[in-house]
Amino acid sequence: MSDMAKSILFAVGMCIVLGLLLTTAATALQPLQQKNMEINRKKNVLLSVDLVSRDGKYTHEEITTLYDEKIDLFGATQTGAIVEENKIDREPVLPIYLYIEDDTIQAYIVPIDTQGVWGMISGYLAIEDDGSTVRGFTITRHSETPGLGGEIERQWFQENFEGKKIVNKHGTFVSVRVARGEVERQVPEEEKPHYVDGISGATLTGKYLSEGLKQVLSRYEPVSIRFRDNRIEKPGRSKKRAKGDL
Amino acid sequence: MKLTRTKTFKAFAEPAWTNNPINMQMLGICSALAVTIQLRTAFVMTLAMIFVITGSSLIISLLRKIIPGNIRIIVELGVIASLVILTDEFLRAYYFEISRLLSVFVGLIITNCIILGRTEGFAMSNPPHLAVMDGIGNGAGYGSVLLSVAFLRELFGSGEVFGYDVIPQSFYDAGYEDMGFMLLAPAAFIIIGLMAWLQKYLSGTGEKDR
Repeated sequence: MSDMAKSILFAVGMCIVLGLLLTTAATALQPLQQKNMEINRKKNVLLSVDLVSRDGKYTHEEITTLYDEKIDLFGATQTGAIVEENKIDREPVLPIYLYIEDDTIQAYIVPIDTQGVWGMISGYLAIEDDGSTVRGFTITRHSETPGLGGEIERQWFQENFEGKKIVNKHGTFVSVRVARGEVERQVPEEEKPHYVDGISGATLTGKYLSEGLKQVLSRYEPVSIRFRDNRIEKPGRSKKRAKGDL
Repeated sequence: MKLTRTKTFKAFAEPAWTNNPINMQMLGICSALAVTIQLRTAFVMTLAMIFVITGSSLIISLLRKIIPGNIRIIVELGVIASLVILTDEFLRAYYFEISRLLSVFVGLIITNCIILGRTEGFAMSNPPHLAVMDGIGNGAGYGSVLLSVAFLRELFGSGEVFGYDVIPQSFYDAGYEDMGFMLLAPAAFIIIGLMAWLQKYLSGTGEKDR
């Protein structure tokens, strides 16, 4: 057999063997990986409303049970009404999670998907039932530079958001912004409730995140206004569809 | 014969210390800059690296007599890339948190010049048991540098070791501050430079030997 034929034969053989190996591994592990991602998503929703702690270890069952018990997915219409998600035939609705305890809404959770420096930043921002106070913020996925913008995944940065206000004292929507450096030093007194500490070396990530939060929150503003005016009606629970979440 | 004189031991010890891939050969520096901010990521990266380099050395060494010479680099890369993908998939299935921390860097093991260098330069021309020892040695040599750099960076950059606070609060109260610079890539450059100098000084291989 000529050298050429031998090389081609070897290459084809290698492709088949490696291809089979990788396909088997990917297919076999996929259910586990998807489950991990789903649990991670649920855990982050729970984190944003402080139902689990960041350092705590939880089994998958604990997360799932807690999530099914307290969190529900609904849709928010353009007028700010909260409807069951399957009534969306006519109007486009925005996904909104409600944290319901003792039959009252404790907080609502807005999924954040926004452009970062290198890719999408995804996470959840939870707002108290007063429609203006941030209850918590988590980041589930990002591709910022590790050590710089990547620090947004750190606990201190995310906890930074707790208690911040998205409206000023005149009742106007201002969103929350990431400051350049420390809020204490950089931001004037009356603006402090609307700023969180920034990350040194990651000005750009902060800027993108500020812009993104503002955009997303302004889309949800109709709902927030209803919460502020106490005009929110709790929709019927939709437990049966709990699996069909985003 | 003493253990330290055997060929097998040499295949391990040489890359692990006297011919360390990072400090002496200046290879694989790119990933050493990226994953050394925390010890935890550096540790998992070390394990992944040892697995990939040992595995690929073994496989290539076993096949060395039947791999056609003209496509050998492609075959080497194919084996390395497959092992890296396997590692990545495995981490995402069983160690989800850590795989999130390592993000793209596991995938980037493929581009680590140390591995291709060892398969091409050593495994292609040596029997499996030596190739395996050489792989482990290189992995350990790479890993030891990674871990030392990560230790220094995590300690001075965030005041932690393996995620646990080690700098007492009283230090901070007295005005001590974490060095933000340690978290940036240039800090790793400087530390690796100093370590390379230190090792060359200790082993007595300076410029004069060239």
